[in-house]
Amino acid sequence: MMRMLVAYMVVALFMFPLYYWGTTAFKNAKEIFNTPPNVWTFSPTVRNFEEVFGISLGFFRQQEVLPGGGNFYMAPRLWDTIVVALGSTVLSIIVATLAAYGLSRMNFRGRHAFVGWVLSTRMMPPVAVAIPMFFIYKNVGLMDSYLGIILIHAVMNLPLAVLLLKSFFDDIPKDIDECALIDGATRWTIFRRIVLPMAKGGVAATAVLCFIFSWTEFIFVLTLTQTGLKTVPVVSSSFVTSTGTAWGNMAALGVAATAPAFLFILLVQKQLVRGLTLGSLKE
Amino acid sequence: MASVEYQGLVKNFGSIEVIRDLSLTVEEGEFVVLLGASGCGKTTLLRMTAGLEEISGGDLFIGGKRMNEVHPRDRNIAMVFQNYALYPTMKVFENIAFSLQISKVRASEVRRRVEEAAAILNLSEYLDRYPRELSGGQRQRVAMGRAMVRNAQVFLFDEPLSNLDAKLRAHMRVEIRQLHGRLGTTTIYVTHDQIEAMTMADKIVLMREGQIEQVGTPDDLFDSPRTRFAADFIGSPSMNFLEGSIEESDGHAYFRSPGLRLSVPDKMAENNSVTAGLRPTDLVIEDSGPLVGDVILSEKTGADVNLHVRTESGPIIVTVSKEMSVLAGDNIRLTINPEKLHLFDNPNGVSLRSN
Repeated sequence: MMRMLVAYMVVALFMFPLYYWGTTAFKNAKEIFNTPPNVWTFSPTVRNFEEVFGISLGFFRQQEVLPGGGNFYMAPRLWDTIVVALGSTVLSIIVATLAAYGLSRMNFRGRHAFVGWVLSTRMMPPVAVAIPMFFIYKNVGLMDSYLGIILIHAVMNLPLAVLLLKSFFDDIPKDIDECALIDGATRWTIFRRIVLPMAKGGVAATAVLCFIFSWTEFIFVLTLTQTGLKTVPVVSSSFVTSTGTAWGNMAALGVAATAPAFLFILLVQKQLVRGLTLGSLKE
Repeated sequence: MASVEYQGLVKNFGSIEVIRDLSLTVEEGEFVVLLGASGCGKTTLLRMTAGLEEISGGDLFIGGKRMNEVHPRDRNIAMVFQNYALYPTMKVFENIAFSLQISKVRASEVRRRVEEAAAILNLSEYLDRYPRELSGGQRQRVAMGRAMVRNAQVFLFDEPLSNLDAKLRAHMRVEIRQLHGRLGTTTIYVTHDQIEAMTMADKIVLMREGQIEQVGTPDDLFDSPRTRFAADFIGSPSMNFLEGSIEESDGHAYFRSPGLRLSVPDKMAENNSVTAGLRPTDLVIEDSGPLVGDVILSEKTGADVNLHVRTESGPIIVTVSKEMSVLAGDNIRLTINPEKLHLFDNPNGVSLRSN
């Protein structure tokens, strides 16, 4: 009984901010600032969403179409975020699976030092890298482009992705590779037809981590973009204006931005659970 | 089918020598068992044959062709691994067909050969299953099916039965042996289990510390072990060893040990430090026998009883039929036919009998 109570309390502790933030998106400005706050009772409105996405949800409420746009028009930003997160995840996974397989199975000079090198790239705080990156991007012409942001996110994700995938590959018995080798398979065939399908769960788990990282990354998008694209974490800060903070709009964007990430995780969830437990279950 | 020949083979892992100057010929169609304790280099030798380990020195010939640097896929061998190494994401059919598919054999031909192998191995109704849905014995058969469809020149088996329970292991021994009889493919089979070696091999290669201790038919190894190690390794329960000397008196040679004098063939020279080897099955209970001891334990194995006997010369085990009702605590006398007595020189352990 006590345990149940504690469990519920912990869940409540984590869920309440989400609930409060989610409901804020459906409150009008006055209700947001009520004291005491209207936690459970308020008159829901979709106005915040209409403003943020420049659309009219008139079928919810009889009202004229809002003039779409202004500072708060965020629909393209949501699209930017999706492109960047998917692009960098795909790129990370392609490079990381190949690198991880090599690290797991092949012998080459410096293989053991490799893990140290890979990790060392993550030891610096991103801010320390951001300024040099700004100048590099400016000169190379990657500034303010999808490719630039996808690249930097992939680069940031690679170390973790490679190490994670390497551990998944390490869990697959080498005998299987050797058996396939004798069966006449090339390394590439072994990778594509045998090892990769076996590590599906691990790949999914890694993809989720990469996706979430890119989805929430702030500092590089802030420094390496100007007007061409912006992702949700960065544009969220634009709701803080000289005339006040648009809490309702910010919450609306946040709620909308959760949906794609949620959807992505839902899609790979089946693989994910297996991936996270892979290795503990040896056949 | 092809012969396999090793000439002065050497394998080093860093500074550790695992195979030392090993030479051996496996004839075409022969079923050879590499037998030895773990760490004796038998699996390394098999992996070198397959091309999974580099050869540090010496030569390997398969079918008369030097294979040292040939890639595993070009050696035309098939290997069955200890853990089967089945591809878990493929069904049984695809597992067996994999090697044919990647070598671009026509689909109809693939189907024909897989179905043929499956029929031989009683796997026909399991072709649509995944390996995880099969029992241990079935997985073992899939692994063999994978080897069979290849028409390989040589089959390599790396302790294929060690993951099975005792009953299934005995059954699979027969199946593998029958399969060999049917296909006649040259086979090299690695095991640490001397019963497997004895029951399956045309020729046993007993290995010890990276070298060959003795090569011969199962009977050779059982009846005339060349060293004490070989004598100890083969046979269950193992041979009894008694320390003593060979002495001559009134024209006959005897093995002497505290409280014991056994006749040995007269041609034996005097020797003051030898080890006598007595197989538990060769010892006979006889009222006038020279070896006296107390039974401290009797172990039933079904048809036979293993008696653990304490003698003045040391503990020994005797295997007798269960009709001989001997109980723990009994005092018994034992004898052995001099022809069945094995004698080994100390300390090098080389047999003094014959050759």
